[in-house]
Amino acid sequence: MKLRYAKRIDFTGQVKEFAQEAAFGESVIKMLRDKGKAEVAIVIDRAYGLKDDTPYLISDHLNLSGNNPLVGPNDAIGQRFPVVNNIYLDANDTMDQEETWSLGNPLGKMQYAIAAGLHPGVTPTDAELEFIHKLGAKLYCYNLVPTMIVAAHAGLKVVGVALPEGASLRPDILATLLR
Amino acid sequence: MGNNTKQKLTVSASEAVANLRKLYPAVPRAAVILGSGVNVLEGLLNPIVVKYADLFGLAPSVAGHSGTLTIGRLGQGADDPLVAVLRGRFHLYEGYDWETVTLATRVLIEWGVPNLLVTNAAGGLNLQFNVGDLMVLNGYRDHLSPQWQERGLLPAVMVEPTDCSNDLTAKLLATGAKLSSDDSRFKPLQKGVYAGLLGPSYETMAEVDMLRRLKCDAVGMSTVPELLTCLGTGTTAAAVSVITNVWKPDEVMGGHEEVLEASKAASRRLDQLFRRTLNEI
Repeated sequence: MKLRYAKRIDFTGQVKEFAQEAAFGESVIKMLRDKGKAEVAIVIDRAYGLKDDTPYLISDHLNLSGNNPLVGPNDAIGQRFPVVNNIYLDANDTMDQEETWSLGNPLGKMQYAIAAGLHPGVTPTDAELEFIHKLGAKLYCYNLVPTMIVAAHAGLKVVGVALPEGASLRPDILATLLR
Repeated sequence: MGNNTKQKLTVSASEAVANLRKLYPAVPRAAVILGSGVNVLEGLLNPIVVKYADLFGLAPSVAGHSGTLTIGRLGQGADDPLVAVLRGRFHLYEGYDWETVTLATRVLIEWGVPNLLVTNAAGGLNLQFNVGDLMVLNGYRDHLSPQWQERGLLPAVMVEPTDCSNDLTAKLLATGAKLSSDDSRFKPLQKGVYAGLLGPSYETMAEVDMLRRLKCDAVGMSTVPELLTCLGTGTTAAAVSVITNVWKPDEVMGGHEEVLEASKAASRRLDQLFRRTLNEI
């Protein structure tokens, strides 16, 4: 799929080429629902709970926030009960012949992780973090999951990148996300 | 989001009960709350039908819910049980608050209805299940109540499922076993744990795997409010899920026709199960 017209949102404050958002909220919802040529939303969120400081591509998520941004009357942009499976793009899905062969596939060298989406302000205890890992998530974050749900409802696919504190994206990865 | 919350209730449970008492002199032996697409207990004798809009001041907005309460007898005999059938419910995902979502159940409790049967359409997590199976709940997980909106779900996932077996669930299972032994076409009932999620988006595959690890057999977006509301009251509640799909990784899902047919067959079996059970309680 083409990343060219993607909606690019950064919650880490680190990737200045992306729209800067402090946290998921109404302005993020509005941006995702604004009509345009985008097929994809690229979302960079802070990753917590990792044992390493590697950025990960998100393959799927667990919504442990206790909330859902679609609660309330349904917005006509999408279904009442949206299916949110297969929304996160694989690195290979982002390869577009016209745009990206010259860059190679740097995203393909990244590792994948399942993210747990937690309620803002909740810091898990060690036991809770261990349990999050047991439930299948390698890391947790606060903004990615509600953003993905709104994006999926609006018909977009998502490239999710989880960036731990102190880590940065390699230039070739950033170039791929910005093309 | 907070600004999407629907209008507040204008009718209290006590007011609704007072209206029901005016409409009907007797208290039903049981009430049944039906979820979308579940059609049972049609054709009650001498029915009185009240619209939710008139009774509760609100009507459900989801397709497949008619939003009516019907009171009538199951059969012609004087001993045939009087039942109340509620078609449709208010859901948290629509933006209704807890008070609204639990109103119908609170009304039934205050009216003095001793037995409540709750139905829902649910996704199957247990790989032994098939589309059209009926699952009697012997446990549930609460992943939807408003307390989690303040704290997140971590405290909810770290506990065991809540056991909800009681005399009424035992009666349903025993009746189901009898129906199966009398007639081989009556598919045996399943039993299991229901995960009540907030919705409205469906589960991701990672969430399906998580719910299986948390010992859940089916997943939906209702029923847990009703069961929680009946705890510690004079109303005994039991619930049955109609399994409308099964999350299997390598299996092509049946077409719409097949699902529709399985749901119809499930409604017929549920109707038999409820009539027989209601006659014996």
